[in-house]
Amino acid sequence: MATLTTPSTAKQVVSVQNLKVRYGDTLAVDDVSLTINRGEIFGILGPNGAGKTTTVECIGGLRKPDAGSIGVLGLDVRSDSKELHERVGIQLQTSLLPDKINVREALDLFASFYPDPVDPADLLRQLNLEEKADTRYVNLSGGQRQRLSIALALVGRPELAILDELTTGLDPQSRRETWKLIEGIRDQGLTVILVTHFMEEAEYLCDRVALLHHGHIRAIDTPANLGAGLGQRISFRSTAALDLDKLRALPDIREVREQGGRFVIEGGGDVVAAVIALLVREQVVPEQTRVEQSTLDDAFVALTSEADAEEAAAQGTGPA
Amino acid sequence: MTTLTPTTSSKPPQQRRGGFWKLVNIEFKLLRREPMILFWALIFPLGLLIVLGSLTSDKPQAKLGGLPFIVTYTPVLMTFTLTLLALSAMPATLASYRDKGYLKRLSTTPVGATRLLAAQLAIVAGLSLSVVVLIMLVAHFAYNVPLPHQVIGFILSIVLTMTAMASLGLMIASLATSQRVAGAIGGILFFPLMFFAGLWVPQQQMGATLRSISQYTPLGAAVPSIINSDFGRWPGTTHLIVLAVTTLVLLRIAIRFFRWDR
Repeated sequence: MATLTTPSTAKQVVSVQNLKVRYGDTLAVDDVSLTINRGEIFGILGPNGAGKTTTVECIGGLRKPDAGSIGVLGLDVRSDSKELHERVGIQLQTSLLPDKINVREALDLFASFYPDPVDPADLLRQLNLEEKADTRYVNLSGGQRQRLSIALALVGRPELAILDELTTGLDPQSRRETWKLIEGIRDQGLTVILVTHFMEEAEYLCDRVALLHHGHIRAIDTPANLGAGLGQRISFRSTAALDLDKLRALPDIREVREQGGRFVIEGGGDVVAAVIALLVREQVVPEQTRVEQSTLDDAFVALTSEADAEEAAAQGTGPA
Repeated sequence: MTTLTPTTSSKPPQQRRGGFWKLVNIEFKLLRREPMILFWALIFPLGLLIVLGSLTSDKPQAKLGGLPFIVTYTPVLMTFTLTLLALSAMPATLASYRDKGYLKRLSTTPVGATRLLAAQLAIVAGLSLSVVVLIMLVAHFAYNVPLPHQVIGFILSIVLTMTAMASLGLMIASLATSQRVAGAIGGILFFPLMFFAGLWVPQQQMGATLRSISQYTPLGAAVPSIINSDFGRWPGTTHLIVLAVTTLVLLRIAIRFFRWDR
């Protein structure tokens, strides 16, 4: 991180340094830096308005950053835009096709834009769109449109695919199918940037995720590591009396409470083992025990509320 | 959901050269799926030519400056086609592509969205020139309208009329906030433009004031230019200047305000 220029190694597909994008008075993207490696599915997560789309539009060469540097596949995003567009496939959020174009025509058309496209017929088969090949765009379902949109992003045989809001608006069935499709793409060695606000999607698909909030990166890690940092929660019922202070005395305990007849204990990574050992010593038999590992969802809520609190505090003391 | 259809042999990988002509090809296919536009731009002017050519006298009319009616009306029908395609088809299509995010989607490909604009213009130009030639031939062989004797003057008049109307279409696409607005503006402008061309009242029968105003409108300038070329005369310089200035001014506005994204 100390080097001023980042040589684009073969391993590194995307390198973003101190990216800033301003819309009027607000900084939509504020000092974002990240690197993405070849063959990775990299998730960019965050609530609406976090700056996710703006960030990937800069990476895709669609928007000029106000500051910072971006290297994609060893190319300069601003000056090598034609080659960039040949090697990067982009699926834009809410981008529609002409009503009366049919699936086959759309694929043939986009294939004709690239020097070495995938055979459209193969892609139709892979994306399960063969039966819809002669159907006009306006008559496709949401899931079919989304699959076509992914197909169009892949038809140019890109090295990097940027997929923005892949499954928004899809029913659970189509969403699962789309996920399978992306897994298949990963197996072909493509690098994917996945923009999403679904934690479940990121946990299922992504090798690493960046959590974006108000234009800042809050964390970059694997989904598992981000969740693990928050620890575990165990809850159970017990007919026998239990001394809450003994639970509180256990190491690495964050919170102990009694809630609706259940004991709820939250803490670090080893809290479940410690609680069970205590229960055995006290000869208490827990009933309806539930153990929950923190998820990316929890990590996200924790990180964003932390950030909000910091900002509120800064604003409270700042102007005085 | 696995496919039940037998796998057909995939097409042999074909050499692909530049996406532009494919884009023209697809855009033309899409236009062919709009029967109303094709009817008004292609069938209607030809049909009207045949109906009026058959019903009206081919004798010179004193009140039409000594010309047979169909000679004065053929250029009006030519401008009708040029205007309708440039004004009703193109701006609405471009505005809808912008609304849908299709222009932005194209700008993420190596081909880029400017090529789509070029493809649209190529189709408008190709189609309108074909219909103009068709009208010219039918009018000549069926109704004795002279072929343009001043060929260069004729080509210049037609091309400048086309560029003026295409620039107007692009300007509408630039300024309109949606497909519906683009369609509405195109529809509203169509009537005064065609009025001054003489669609309802031939220019020769307009009052002096109306007629002189007409000479400074693009289609009002186009029609006498074409008639002059028919008889081997050079189109009036003022008329050509009106068409050229219209083109340049409207094109500048179009370029200044065109948006690729919503």
